[in-house]
Amino acid sequence: MDEQGCPRCKTTKYRNPSLKLLVNVCGHSLCESCVDLLFVKGSGVCPECNTSLRRTNFRLQLFEDPFVEKEIDIRRKVLRDYNKKEEDFATLEDYNDYLETIETIVYNLSNHINIDETKRMIEQYKKDNREQIKKNQSKLSKDEEMLESLIEQEQQETLMRKAMIKQDEQREKAAKRKHKDDLIDDLMFSELSAQAIITSYRESAKQEEEEFKAKSAATAFSTGIKIGHQNNVVPMSRTEQGVMYRYCPLVMEWCGPDPPSMDDIYSDGYLKNIRLASDAEKAGGFREAIACHRALQEAFCGLFSYPTISPSPLKQPALAASMSH
Amino acid sequence: MFANSSQHKYWLFSGETELAKHRAEANKTYIEHYRQGQTDEEVAKFFLTPAEERILGRQYEVVLRKFCSEFQPPMPKCVIGTSLAFFKRFYVFNSTMDYHPKDIMLTCVYLACKVEEFYVPIGQFVKNLRGDREKFADAILSFELTLMGKLNYQLTVHNPFRAMEGFMIDLKTRHQELHNPEKIRKYVEEFLDRSLLSDACLIFSPSQIALAAIKFGAAKESISLDGYIKTVVLRLASDKEAENTLYQLRRVKAIVKSFEPTTREQAQAVQKKLDRCRNQENNPDSDIYKQKAIDKLNAEDDIPAVKRTKISQDNGS
Repeated sequence: MDEQGCPRCKTTKYRNPSLKLLVNVCGHSLCESCVDLLFVKGSGVCPECNTSLRRTNFRLQLFEDPFVEKEIDIRRKVLRDYNKKEEDFATLEDYNDYLETIETIVYNLSNHINIDETKRMIEQYKKDNREQIKKNQSKLSKDEEMLESLIEQEQQETLMRKAMIKQDEQREKAAKRKHKDDLIDDLMFSELSAQAIITSYRESAKQEEEEFKAKSAATAFSTGIKIGHQNNVVPMSRTEQGVMYRYCPLVMEWCGPDPPSMDDIYSDGYLKNIRLASDAEKAGGFREAIACHRALQEAFCGLFSYPTISPSPLKQPALAASMSH
Repeated sequence: MFANSSQHKYWLFSGETELAKHRAEANKTYIEHYRQGQTDEEVAKFFLTPAEERILGRQYEVVLRKFCSEFQPPMPKCVIGTSLAFFKRFYVFNSTMDYHPKDIMLTCVYLACKVEEFYVPIGQFVKNLRGDREKFADAILSFELTLMGKLNYQLTVHNPFRAMEGFMIDLKTRHQELHNPEKIRKYVEEFLDRSLLSDACLIFSPSQIALAAIKFGAAKESISLDGYIKTVVLRLASDKEAENTLYQLRRVKAIVKSFEPTTREQAQAVQKKLDRCRNQENNPDSDIYKQKAIDKLNAEDDIPAVKRTKISQDNGS
């Protein structure tokens, strides 16, 4: 793929990462500085195709291919006139034919095929359907309507919820105040001892509070999950847990007597009989015992090897494979 | 470790009888394929017999070792061991008539250098050869893949050299009756060098060869290591295992000692015969080989060319 760049000054995105490519109706891109330079007066011609352009019509190139931008422009313009909806047609086939015509027009215009003829066709269509075009412009499509109604519904729900919370709070406050008043009245006029009155009130207050809590929890639960808010609740994905890893110590197959272990090498004085590692080697992590260990392992490994006279089946694939090459 | 290596699994044979059987089979397969209705007498005259193939193989093993010992930069012993092992393994299932040992020999050394981490670039490698070096380089590189394929890509070779060092260390530590083990080293190394030319590496494990070498070296200095082997090395082995091991040690010695080099005259006579009956498709000097190489090159060229035209068509549309 070629590097994206300005066709006039040949700057590329690679050389200037902050390069901004702009595009106009003709579908040829220009970088921002070139536009500043060429369109000082507010209008000029495209250096590629000599179409006269206005500076205000330049906009940021979103797609890598400027041709796509051009097509989008044309499509938008065409759709402003060809704005019939599916409901305006008697059959689905008619509607599809109509969509097909739009595509042909867009394709012709963006590829410079039969431009005059196509333009004439558009004019004709405009003339024929002037009223309907106007009507449709003011009318919203079915999809848009649905979206709008959804948003409205959501807003109403939020309002309702807020009102409910407010009501609850008020009710609670009122209950508390009433409670206090009752308590003072009782203390003033009742015949029971003050202590007993206070404890009985405290208990009833506690009970009420608990009741309220349970109620509010339930409401939070029932209102918390609503159509518009479902997305906020991300269910925890449960990861599949495999079988736990279990460490199995490595069992060496020697096919021979067990060689001296690393401990034996240190304790039996093997190290006296080999060249000691130099300081430089030690710094690199080398120990003379490692080399000694390896030599001993190689010495003892395979001592019992005793190939049987009949060729083992294991040898057959080697034979077959090497013959087939 | 050797015990679970491909060498142990696939490249150890029960003995010389089994090896001879495989080699005879390879010989027969080649002749059956190329005899073109010749009578048995003509076949015997024209093609190599298994015995003649062995002479040739042995001759080239000697040449290979000589080439290695004169190689510049001097190569470690394990490279020699590995290249000889490759060479021997290759000719167990292939006939010398199919692939000329001269080409395979150099390829084995080149591959062994890589496997043993003693890499010598091909340009420097062929400087050790006299003659048309470019041609040698081409031949080596073209046979390299074939060789690896025939070896079943089992390229790790366990050599007896490190095992021998292990036994030397063990001797010094656990068998202190032997006062100066270093004095036997000369004979031990001699034995190992000789073992390289025999089929020992296709029959015995490297540790068996190494122990046999140690035993042999000590015997030369009239020291018996039977006590060490029985009471130290095989102390925990079962009777059966100990018996087998001792038997194998005796066999190593017999096979290595019975090896006799081929004479120059014998080898030359066989080579003359080979020049006529070898497979020309694998001869880098033959016209068939060259034609094949050119065809292959063209075929490789064709594929990208086709793709390119397709792409340009796509662009055009």
